[in-house]
Amino acid sequence: MEIKPKRKLTEVLFLAALLLGAFVALMPFLYMVANSLKTYGETVTRVSSNPFSPRFWPRKLQWNNYLTIIRDDNMGHYFSNSLIIALITVSGIIATSTLAAYGFSKMRFPGRDRIFTVLLVTLMIPETVLLIPNFLIISSLRWVDRLAALTVPFMGSAFFIFFLRQFFKQIPDALMEAAKIDGASHLTILVRIMVPLIRAPLFTVFFLAFNGSWNALQWPMVVTQSDRWRPISVAVAKYVTEAGPETQLRMASAMVALAPILVIFLIAQKQITEAITNTGMKG
Amino acid sequence: MYGRGKLTLGKLKERYKRLNTDYEGFLFIAPACLLIFIFGIFPVFYTLYISLFKWRIKRGAFLGLANYGELFGSYGILLLLAAAVMAVIGGTLLLNGREKRREKNHSSPLRGLLIGGKAAQAAGWIGLILLLPLIYSRGDKKLLDSLRVTIWYSLGTVPFQLLFGLTLSIMLNREFKGRQAFRVIYLLPYVVPSVAAATVFERLFSLRPESFANQVVQSLGKAPLQWLQEPKGLLTLWFGWGTGESYLQTWLQGPSLALATIMIFNWWVFAGYYALIFSNGLSQIPTQLYDAAKVDGAGFWTTLRNITIPMLSPTTFFLTMLGIIGTFKAFNQIYILRNPAARGATDPLSIQIFFTFFRKSRFGYASAMALILFAIVLALTVLQQRLMSKDVHYGD
Repeated sequence: MEIKPKRKLTEVLFLAALLLGAFVALMPFLYMVANSLKTYGETVTRVSSNPFSPRFWPRKLQWNNYLTIIRDDNMGHYFSNSLIIALITVSGIIATSTLAAYGFSKMRFPGRDRIFTVLLVTLMIPETVLLIPNFLIISSLRWVDRLAALTVPFMGSAFFIFFLRQFFKQIPDALMEAAKIDGASHLTILVRIMVPLIRAPLFTVFFLAFNGSWNALQWPMVVTQSDRWRPISVAVAKYVTEAGPETQLRMASAMVALAPILVIFLIAQKQITEAITNTGMKG
Repeated sequence: MYGRGKLTLGKLKERYKRLNTDYEGFLFIAPACLLIFIFGIFPVFYTLYISLFKWRIKRGAFLGLANYGELFGSYGILLLLAAAVMAVIGGTLLLNGREKRREKNHSSPLRGLLIGGKAAQAAGWIGLILLLPLIYSRGDKKLLDSLRVTIWYSLGTVPFQLLFGLTLSIMLNREFKGRQAFRVIYLLPYVVPSVAAATVFERLFSLRPESFANQVVQSLGKAPLQWLQEPKGLLTLWFGWGTGESYLQTWLQGPSLALATIMIFNWWVFAGYYALIFSNGLSQIPTQLYDAAKVDGAGFWTTLRNITIPMLSPTTFFLTMLGIIGTFKAFNQIYILRNPAARGATDPLSIQIFFTFFRKSRFGYASAMALILFAIVLALTVLQQRLMSKDVHYGD
């Protein structure tokens, strides 16, 4: 079948619109990179709204902007705090959610489905509603400003239990029965047989939970009072709303705050685009 | 062991059940359930308890419903409000009951229930609307102001994101080289931490003449704008509307330019995400429908209107509800982008609650506000579930 000229025209128009969309999506990132490498003077005088103009970019790359925020503004410390908090939270989420999802799908005990329904109802509750009581709970445990306050409350997640349960349900019981006859315990079955089968969904949980922890702002703001465990999200928020740092330093700090997520996303873009399309969320 | 007595089917079932019950299951779900109970379920009741007290860091005097009275103006207004809400809920229950009975018994139209239900609903809604100016003048202005912000925020984001998302997804819905690259680029704004992205937008839309947004405005021959620091409403800026003090006038101002700027940020974050969810929906439409339309000689717009959009209605519905509920929960981007110069014109309820708690240390009052937010989100979720169970599918 030959391509009609009219069809070719719409193809071109479609591509142009897609490129325009991509340009709009990328513009702020280009601005961030360009301005994080400018001098203060350049952020004021050497400006352009067109990324194809040389005036959009710095004359000479000012890498010491990054040094400034890491050394003088302690961003390196906050970055490692965030990394530690995220990794501990994610490990906790994966452990408790895998166990619970297995329990809710592969084991039979009284009240199982009723308990699961109650868990699902908690998904509707906005974070702001839980903020004040949870702060009082954390205070009475004397956890304020400690690592536990930033990690433990997030370790139980109804969403991830629900998500993993769907995959456990797809695994045939016969596999389990065979292992049971051989005398394997539930924990052995879970670790040896089930976990290898749900590696892809577990990665999804890892990414969504990591992203959620890295992005958390409200709760960490409330339970950190000193720099000790302050994560990068709170540090950047304080940096840009309280003090008046110069544009190039703000952009460099934004860059540091989004770097790990960007790296994970670009490495695993195929799984992550699929995961987000299928779950409808990012954690 | 089991040799005694007759083996009946009932006994067999009993025994099967007993052998198949894993009490160990409780151990498996215990860690997660304990955590979710302590930090996710118990706090809801605790909030309710806190909201009944004067509570500034430490618990103070028991106030009963006084925090709610202060929010809405007086106990009388609170009572009327409760009556209006009950009327809406009661009316809905009556109508539901009628549906159920009609399904069982086709002959009876049950006109009484129909009229009663509709009347109760109507009276409830009218009551609610009439109460608003009263609540605004007697109660805490922040409450209705922040709700108005949230409603504008929903209206100014969800329809646009649906439009952009649908357009992009239709264009993306073909096999071509580089398709995955586009998907990755469109998803970037959504995946990236909102704190970092908002930090960039705060600069892009700064009031300084050299900011990106003002460069664009100036290249069009206009004067630089205040963007995130402009508390005036769009309709005030364009037509000079809404300069009075009454509740209706506050609506006539339209969303502030500062809020509109935050809406632009929202479009940027969500357009690509909506596109991805839409393309998921598009891929589930049977191709035979399009083939049939082609045979009938239907063009692009006819196919779009009669096949694509109706078939996508479940996706559209999902995204709409997600968007509306999302605006009630929105926090991070607004916290970064809000500016004191905008005088609260960008602050939805979630932000007001946070400041009442965190800056003013009014734990009790903030808890009462939080429960109102919870009630609204709950109502929206229930509405979503109800509409979902009815047929939003496939238009026919």
